[in-house]
Amino acid sequence: MATDAKTDTAAPARPATVTLTIDGQEVTVPKGTTVLEAALGMGIQIPTFCWHPKLKSVGACRMCYVEIEKMPKLAVSCATEAVDGMVVHTDSDLVKRGRKAIIEFILANHPLDCPTCDKGGECDLQNLTYRHGIDDSRFDFMKMRFTEGAERTTFDDVRIGPEIVLNRNRCILCYKCVRANKEAFGEYDLGAFERGNITEINAAPGREVENPFSGNLVQICPVGALTNSDWRYKIRVWLTKQARSICPFTGSGANTLLWKEDHQQKIFRCTARRNDDIDDGWIADVTRYGYQYVMAEDRLQTPLVKKDGKQVKASWDEALALVAKRLREVDDNKGNVCIGGLIAPHLDNKSLYAFNKFMRVTIGANNVDHRLDYPMLPTDGNSAFSILASRPFTIADIDTSDVIVSFASDMLKEHPNEYLRMRKASFFRQAKIYTIDPYAVKNSDIASLDVVYTPGADEAVINALCLAAAEDQMVDAARIKGLKEKLSHKSAADAAKAAGVDLDEIKVIARALANGKKITFMAGELLARSSFREAAAAALANLNRLFDIDSRGQMARLARFSNSRGAEKLGLSPFPAPAVKKELEAAFGSWPASDALTADKMLVQMNKEAINAAIVIGANPIMLYPDREFAREALEKLDFLVVCDSFETATTSLADVVLPLASFAEYTGDYINMEGRTQTAEAAIKPRFQSKPAYEIVSLIAQALEKPLFKSDVDCGTEMAKILAADHVLPWPSGYLEVAGEPVATSEEYPIPLFVGDDPHHSGHLTEKANSLLNFRGEAYAEMSAELAASLDVRNGDSVRVESPVGKVIVPVRISDWIDTPVVFIPRNFSSTPVTSLLMRKERVNRVKITKVAD
Amino acid sequence: MILTEESVKAIKERLKQYPQRKSVILPALTIAYRQVGHLSDEIYQEISRVTKVPYVEIAEAATFYTMFPKEPRGKYLIQVCHNISCALLGADSLIGYLEEKLGIKKGETTPDNLFTLISVECLGSCATAPMMQINYDFYENLTREKVDAILEELKAKA
Amino acid sequence: MSFYSPVITNAAEVARSESLHLFRYVEDPDQYKVETFEKHGGYEAWKKVVTSMKPDQVIAEVKNSGLRGRGGAGFPTGMKWGFVPKDSPKARYLICNADESEPGTCKDRVIMERDPHAVIEGMAIGAFAIGCHRMFIYIRGEFGHCIERMEGAVKEAYTRGHLGKNVYGSGYDLDMVVHSGGGAYICGEETALLNSLEGEKGLSRIRPPFPAIAGLYASPTIVNNVETLAAVPHIINRGADWYKTMGTEKSAGSKIFSLSGHVKRPGNYEVPLGFSLKTLIYDEKYGAGIRDGKKLKAVIPGGASTPFLTPDMVDVGLDYESLQSVGSMLGSGAIIVLDEDTCIVWTIMKLIHFFRHESCGKCTPCREGTGWLEQLVTRIEHGEGRPGDIDKIDDLCGNILGRTICPLGDAAVMPIQSAIKLFRDEWQYHIDHKKCPCPNNHEFK
Ligand SMILES: Cc1cc2nc3c(=O)[nH]c(=O)nc-3n(C[C@H](O)[C@H](O)[C@H](O)COP(=O)(O)O)c2cc1C
Ligand code: SF4
Ligand code: FES
Repeated sequence: MATDAKTDTAAPARPATVTLTIDGQEVTVPKGTTVLEAALGMGIQIPTFCWHPKLKSVGACRMCYVEIEKMPKLAVSCATEAVDGMVVHTDSDLVKRGRKAIIEFILANHPLDCPTCDKGGECDLQNLTYRHGIDDSRFDFMKMRFTEGAERTTFDDVRIGPEIVLNRNRCILCYKCVRANKEAFGEYDLGAFERGNITEINAAPGREVENPFSGNLVQICPVGALTNSDWRYKIRVWLTKQARSICPFTGSGANTLLWKEDHQQKIFRCTARRNDDIDDGWIADVTRYGYQYVMAEDRLQTPLVKKDGKQVKASWDEALALVAKRLREVDDNKGNVCIGGLIAPHLDNKSLYAFNKFMRVTIGANNVDHRLDYPMLPTDGNSAFSILASRPFTIADIDTSDVIVSFASDMLKEHPNEYLRMRKASFFRQAKIYTIDPYAVKNSDIASLDVVYTPGADEAVINALCLAAAEDQMVDAARIKGLKEKLSHKSAADAAKAAGVDLDEIKVIARALANGKKITFMAGELLARSSFREAAAAALANLNRLFDIDSRGQMARLARFSNSRGAEKLGLSPFPAPAVKKELEAAFGSWPASDALTADKMLVQMNKEAINAAIVIGANPIMLYPDREFAREALEKLDFLVVCDSFETATTSLADVVLPLASFAEYTGDYINMEGRTQTAEAAIKPRFQSKPAYEIVSLIAQALEKPLFKSDVDCGTEMAKILAADHVLPWPSGYLEVAGEPVATSEEYPIPLFVGDDPHHSGHLTEKANSLLNFRGEAYAEMSAELAASLDVRNGDSVRVESPVGKVIVPVRISDWIDTPVVFIPRNFSSTPVTSLLMRKERVNRVKITKVAD
Repeated sequence: MILTEESVKAIKERLKQYPQRKSVILPALTIAYRQVGHLSDEIYQEISRVTKVPYVEIAEAATFYTMFPKEPRGKYLIQVCHNISCALLGADSLIGYLEEKLGIKKGETTPDNLFTLISVECLGSCATAPMMQINYDFYENLTREKVDAILEELKAKA
Repeated sequence: MSFYSPVITNAAEVARSESLHLFRYVEDPDQYKVETFEKHGGYEAWKKVVTSMKPDQVIAEVKNSGLRGRGGAGFPTGMKWGFVPKDSPKARYLICNADESEPGTCKDRVIMERDPHAVIEGMAIGAFAIGCHRMFIYIRGEFGHCIERMEGAVKEAYTRGHLGKNVYGSGYDLDMVVHSGGGAYICGEETALLNSLEGEKGLSRIRPPFPAIAGLYASPTIVNNVETLAAVPHIINRGADWYKTMGTEKSAGSKIFSLSGHVKRPGNYEVPLGFSLKTLIYDEKYGAGIRDGKKLKAVIPGGASTPFLTPDMVDVGLDYESLQSVGSMLGSGAIIVLDEDTCIVWTIMKLIHFFRHESCGKCTPCREGTGWLEQLVTRIEHGEGRPGDIDKIDDLCGNILGRTICPLGDAAVMPIQSAIKLFRDEWQYHIDHKKCPCPNNHEFK
């Protein structure tokens, strides 16, 4: 029998780069680069429709043809890998003819309704036809139409989601929308149906496109097929200008553009301004539509002062004089420590810093904090949680991690950009994803393992990971030494049992942590909002020590708000990091001798009438503090309360003086994202009505108190620069920490653990003023598993009464696609449903009972 | 539930044969179609629940393929191949003949809900043209007499 | 659940010749049963391969035999198998392409209905050659009987130990899944088939990566036609040299040709490659000439996507090279014969309607171009053509040819281009006289 003698030859070592020639210029690019990317990198323009830098190439539109020597056919550059020695022509006659033909094919059935199309002026098809097309069509038939009829509706636009309008006739079937939705967002509410030349993009039958990233679909549509209600037909694009801004609602600070018109002083939309380090060009809808609060009708217009128990309009002078007078009174009568200051972590650096100086110098108190939605904050600066929260983090490193763990975090709701990064790592690099949460969250669908632990058992599950690694000797024996003695759980099995998880699954994750080449470990808000966060944070410090995660990647609690990290770096807490404190002291020339109080402790002291006056800037503790009645009572007991906000809120309603606050879009400010990256949001418009930026308000109050904060703006800048240069990162503890895993109490009367957080389309209290976001979600709901709903005999939309020992709300039910254990989630973003009134600040797990409301 | 327990079981059985869940879409659609005779959004949803494959993926696939009509059809779905080999041997006149005999136009169903007549692309019976498929059976080398006999037989069976 | 009455398909007429192997037992009504198949020497080759051969040896033997893919492209089968990376840690897959939807083609169906175990045996050998442990056969959904036959045969093969764990004690595990399509010609194209099998819509994929490197579930995958695989056991049994005794130097072996259209005896005929097309059409043993005493007008030699031949070109060998030399292709071996009364424009109208209907819609030229062409051709056939239409069609074809993701675009336009080249006067007549000049008297009897 004849056999082939040829044996396998060893593959030659692959060069990491390739060199090719494009239009006569030689270029060297990393292996794996496409011809298109290589050309774009050289500044050579190649037209595209279906290509998107963050999606897999499909080579569908065929617009990006190039001619490659020795290849018989035109090649699509978006899907052709650059190879050594390739000679590419991007502008030959053959290429031009090829492109022209594609434009002709696309236009054949395109309605050419540019005069009435909202995309005009920024339409890829219009622009590329202008550049590459012909001015006459050889197509002399009736154009294909999606006509009236039972299934296919109209020639006109159809609404396919709360904010998306589709015109199928304009669609050129580049499939970018469907691909982005599935590949990048993991969402399945949009599809391409039928086939061939009657293929149509549409929402899933009977559904709406309402996912939290849906606005991106409109932004990437190359034609006017997808438009959003926010922008369409309000203004022509060429009449607008853009301000470079950032997302004010999340911790990553996704880069955006605010499209504005100067004459009207109006912002018309917000779009992504791609920054590959942060957002990859995708922004969540809360970022895209949230800006609308700036333009809301019911912005606070003037200062208000309380007269005869009623808030009435006042001039700035009048209001400031009153503030100064009353603060002085409290200071004189009860002392400066009796004044508290709370500021929202979404305000810019200058505002935060000015407020810090105001509180610590002008007032002379240490009572300053930005953490308003957390109960039971640690009362010293070196807590395990503070360490965890201070650890450095790099968003783009998620992409290249091979093991990614998210712990106690509903990533989609808290950190949408990092949520997408996890999906990206999973989709493009097959990274191993592990989610460890007290209830199943959306990204569990990409998780290799999705561990759901008993609510409240945060530290037990981490202990289980540590003990599993120790028992099975997954790490060096030297590392294990000293661990077990510190843990109250005697064995991994013990800890796993306490956490209600499967030990085998824990072992899989432990092994991944032990063997991963590059690890990203993210802890989230479910931990931060827990009253028992210290124990879990200590367990996490142990975990880091045991697996040495830091040296192979990153481990941090992600900053939640747009300037949370800035607030830490600028020392906006009672216990700034030592290096930060040192710089602050130097800048201030003094440091208050008084006790330092956290936001939480301030409320306690207010309740005890030990704090008698407070200044609250941009924050709404009554709505967000996880014990509404406690916060309300505290603020009500004050002698004097000043609140700055853009809107009337539950908190401003208690104030003696309300000052109108300018929004992020109305002045230029710097913000520090979760990575420690400082970014600037440019002013798009002037402050509306009489509102003013927080730093200005604070300075004016200081002036009214005759203690000006800064001699000049320059001074403020130099002071701030020094402080920001200080290292705020706290070192990990030098040994294993004690972790006492207390058992989680249960209750027969209130059996269901309650979680309160943000809806995916909302963040904090301002987004309630953005109409588009209300179109997605305008009221609170009780999200629960299908099983729990069934056991309560309720269906989607039925009203239920949710009761805790201290409060009750009535909300409609939403059946979750993810949650599969008996817990309930209720968003905190809707002022009409004061869900925080169900919470008790000292509880480890807040529990409720749920009953059906008879209809 | 529209899907019977038997269908659900069959779908779950098929699920085991594939390394990835999504592969079960076509078998599941086929099973559902054979049970019901046509498909609908509710059926996609049920399949989605059984297979844990996103609903939209099922709907997309179902509309891409031609074998899964969304409207109920007559008891006998007559599918006449009108592609080249059959056309060369008179498929168009065969369709005309059927239209006449059944008293309906292509695409329609007889009032007694017995027959639906449609034309389809090549069914791989080219050397035995002209042909038609009725439900799942092929009828080939058709002549007028054969067509008459087939229709009589089906009517008698109904 | 059985949805099908027993196989009632007409016996396609079968020729006999010394070279017969694929169709050797096709007329034995019991051949589909495993016992009969075994009695006729079935599964011997598989047993030999899995118990005594190395994958490389199998590949070498098939390479040596000169077997080329019978699905249309004619790619050397052994060479294709050799592309599967030896060091990939991923699972590998073998898929038998039984989507048979190319108009004019009806051969795979006969093999599957009459001799299903031959397909399984061929697949098993191919699977072993590439190190696959789970193989799929993708059968077009309309082929209810084939699906049932194949499912039955797979069950039998498991019971008799030809499939399953530790086949014949060799230590080799092999599973087989019968997967049925949902009605889409494009799913015969191998990358669309992969998508379809993965549960996606049947949209073609851009290459590279080629399936042999990253195919089904992004794992190395080989897709082969039914007939290709059915030939493999014979090659193993009788050797590559035997196989090469049939056919021509570059086109070895035998091939089934589906002869349809206006011949007296349409049917599936297995003949050696290189066999005379003229003989196949006219010889009494085969096509027996044109029906009703009419004259030949044109032949489509390789399925609906291949260029036409005119009567002066039919004295040609049925092999890859000879057909190429006369400007056409062997394709899937579907020979469609048109008599003198048949209009070429009408024929093209039928074909372009098909391709428009079957375009997956992923890439622009194919999606938009086929629709446009259908409208143009239809209006010419209906006597509404406008001056310049013919050139426009030709030009549009040029804008599609070689510009699409998969060869469906080429398939749609190649017959049109050849029809214009060979029969331009007839197209022109339609436009000049605003009517079709041909009787088109295709009545069913
Ligand atoms: C539009 C199109 C349809 C095809 N249909 C089939 C088919 O029905 N059956 C088939 O075996 N190959 C078909 N092919 C060819 C396959 O893509 C592939 O080349 C073949 O299955 C490989 O098998 P082989 O090497 O054994 O020929 C088709 C190709 C194209 C472009
Ligand atoms: S709607 Fe827009 S993005 Fe989606 S396929 Fe059509 S043209 Fe592309
Ligand atoms: S951009 Fe390359 S094919 Fe669309």
